[in-house]
Amino acid sequence: MKNLKILLVDDEEEFVTTLAERLELRGLQARAALNGEAALQMIEADTPEIVILDVMMPGIGGFEVLRRIKAQHPQLPVILLTGRGSTKEGIKGMQQGAFDYLMKPLNIEELIKKIQEAIESHL
Amino acid sequence: MNTCEDKEAAFFGKITAGITHELKNVLAIIRESSGLMGDIISISPEAVVKHQEKIQNSMVRIKEQIERGVNLTDRLNRFAHSTDETLSKIDLQETVEQLIILAQRFARLKHIVLKTVTPDQEGPAVTLVTRHVQLQMALFESLECCFTVMSAGGEINIGIHNLDGTNAVHVVCKGDLPEQSEFSRKILESKNWPVLQEIVACMQGSANLDEIEHGIVLCFPDEIGR
Repeated sequence: MKNLKILLVDDEEEFVTTLAERLELRGLQARAALNGEAALQMIEADTPEIVILDVMMPGIGGFEVLRRIKAQHPQLPVILLTGRGSTKEGIKGMQQGAFDYLMKPLNIEELIKKIQEAIESHL
Repeated sequence: MNTCEDKEAAFFGKITAGITHELKNVLAIIRESSGLMGDIISISPEAVVKHQEKIQNSMVRIKEQIERGVNLTDRLNRFAHSTDETLSKIDLQETVEQLIILAQRFARLKHIVLKTVTPDQEGPAVTLVTRHVQLQMALFESLECCFTVMSAGGEINIGIHNLDGTNAVHVVCKGDLPEQSEFSRKILESKNWPVLQEIVACMQGSANLDEIEHGIVLCFPDEIGR
């Protein structure tokens, strides 16, 4: 897990930059993208080992970003972040190839556990 | 969507649901920021940060309040989405549990505790095809009727039963209550009783006083006609 390259994608800048800092304190290499377009460019320039992707974003939405990632990098695990009280969006995302989903606000230990599971299942 | 009222409800629900998404983002930022503070304190050598213990205690309180906020926004979000469709298939127990959480504040102001009664035996969930918003209104009005008769320190238990093939919600008041006849008179005279009657009539259901226990029995058909 040390030095694992993670891409965090969310339009809430304060959220995503703080989360990146917390992951870095735990030895992971976290980068942040504030929209879908930037995320796709960053993936092409330097493919991360895992993507944490918010579903609800302006511009290219999370599901469309997921579809494009899976088309280009089918083996790249994606964990979705959903804000809804129900599990509907998460399940929809998993049907479209996401490894799993987590609901906001996050529990960082749960996120790390989920990252670990995703990486192990893609070895 | 047929009536202007349905459209109004859908609009109200859409805006409320949108705001709950924003509130979740606010809570997420607060959680990550306080989490980062906690991370920094935990990696700092002991006593480097002044009043370290007080800061940690304060962060525990922030965390607890975030959990509270998340639970409330989740419930509010589901409540807002209940206006998405005029008629929908609804889990009755889930709706009762949700309404109890959303009505807690109103009960707390009267010093009354709301509780759900877990069904005696595990069985398939009781589902209804009905108007979700009206169902929640009926449950809420029945609580309001009870509030008018109850004193501080009381408790309301809400359970689901199947009475002769009808889906029934049993709202039972406990605590320092007037005699059954006086209890019934006060409920019938409360301003909420006719409102409750109007709502259940729209749902092709009924609301009656419980003749044995201090309470109200709401009955709903499996599916209401369109």
